[in-house]
Amino acid sequence: MPHMWWVVAASVVVGLVAAYLIWTAGRVERLQGRAELAARALDAHLLRRAAAAAVLAERRFGVELYAAARIALDASPDEREAAENDLTRQLRGVQLDPGDPDCAAVIAASRRLALSRQVHTDLVRDARSARSRPLVRLLRMGRGREWPRYFDIDDPTLVVPADVPAA
Amino acid sequence: MRIGIVCPYSFDVPGGVQNHVMDLAEALIALGHEVSVLAPADEDSPLPEYVVSAGRAVPLPYNGSVARIAFGPVSTARVRRWITNGDFDVLHVHEPLTLSLSLLAVLSARGPVVATFHTAMTRSRVLAAAQGVLQIVLERITARIAVSALARKVQVEHMDGGAVEIPNGVAVAKFADAEPLPGWPGECATGTGGTLGFLGRFTEARKGFPVLRDAFVALAATRPGLRLLVAGPGDPDDLYDQFPAELHERITFLGLVSEADKARMLRSVHLYVAPNTGGESFGMILTEALAAGTTVVASDLDAFRRVLDGGRAGRLFPTGDPVGLRGVLSELLDDPAGRATLSACGDQVVANFDWPVVARRVLEVYAAAIEATDGRVIDQEWVGLG
Repeated sequence: MPHMWWVVAASVVVGLVAAYLIWTAGRVERLQGRAELAARALDAHLLRRAAAAAVLAERRFGVELYAAARIALDASPDEREAAENDLTRQLRGVQLDPGDPDCAAVIAASRRLALSRQVHTDLVRDARSARSRPLVRLLRMGRGREWPRYFDIDDPTLVVPADVPAA
Repeated sequence: MRIGIVCPYSFDVPGGVQNHVMDLAEALIALGHEVSVLAPADEDSPLPEYVVSAGRAVPLPYNGSVARIAFGPVSTARVRRWITNGDFDVLHVHEPLTLSLSLLAVLSARGPVVATFHTAMTRSRVLAAAQGVLQIVLERITARIAVSALARKVQVEHMDGGAVEIPNGVAVAKFADAEPLPGWPGECATGTGGTLGFLGRFTEARKGFPVLRDAFVALAATRPGLRLLVAGPGDPDDLYDQFPAELHERITFLGLVSEADKARMLRSVHLYVAPNTGGESFGMILTEALAAGTTVVASDLDAFRRVLDGGRAGRLFPTGDPVGLRGVLSELLDDPAGRATLSACGDQVVANFDWPVVARRVLEVYAAAIEATDGRVIDQEWVGLG
């Protein structure tokens, strides 16, 4: 009964295709979710750095740094990258003393921000490359979720990484 | 924090990655974290208590050399059991793109996964042939660490991703406290005496031993009592044949040395010479010599210049130039104050490479990876749904 073999072969193929599609959908979902979590972590580190800079500005270095920190804290999403770069420039322009606790807080927050930005960029790239695959686009997997966006800022690291204070 | 570290290479054979993993694990434990290391090892070989054996490693001709690795269904089952039992907050794999336990662990785990890339070329031919597989592996990794600028460059240019650069650590105390070999380093006064050190494969062209040989032969002719201490794998005859017979008694060859003897050897010389002509991505041996408090003279390579802080922590000479090297050696041997200044600066530089410092930077990467994933490391059937 040769046509029986066709049925078996066809069901195997259908099964494999279905498994592949489910696997791909899961992969897109996972990468998308991870990029969103990384974006939230990045957001938290941006706020932490701006807050630390504002605290420092109240005590030392004064108005310009404080203004840059406030603007970074309040920036709307499409102005945020520029505002964060301004803050980085302001922080680079002042003499930070690692021995001072407020300065050390800003240095540590900047270092953590740099790490979080690195992780975010990598995860966004993974998610975007998964979503831009033709099959994924054709079947509109991941629809209903925004495309993950890069957050394009200068490297916020302030000093050559030296000793890291114990957490 | 509960940390799971995977080492791809067997602890039965010494190697750079193995030492890195052990030192990192010990530094993390000293900082109060719980660490479990999974590595291939023979059943009866003595292991530190934080190491879990994943079974015997099989020597396999691989990527141009012989690697002792563990791979296959049995290893997979062990990796998955280790991940399940470990209940880790973060999984840290080393060299995940070799066919090894690290690759199995990456494919088996979900959650925060940090990967460290050691060598500049971790991309094996097997994986290069399967771009899709490579992508699946890389997607599982949350944060990447490169141990050198060169390794990072490869990440950026060939693997389409960034990496945080965290240098290899060095166990400063082990080197600083090592006892010099009996009778070394001996006398060193103006115009006489002094001991030079070289560690490495003296037959390998890029290690630049002939540069040091020429400088030594020229300097020994005018400087009585100058001695040379050489350690590393190789045949003694190949070494001594390179020198005129009258100099043989001034050259001591130790052969291949253990980690402990390496520290003692570095403490036994006045000047450590790194005449490499290229191909160094980091210059681990320089940080070790600095940790031992020995003055370093190195060729002016990018990697060495970075470690030596542009020449403040050790003297640089034009790469491949025996005459330049001879001049620097002769000047420094006659200048104890200059050597002391360089070593003092070396102490500051090497403090940045001390393991507790490096381990704290690694912990920050763990934190960033944990923030970007939800939950802990869990075992995942990787042939099934991804």
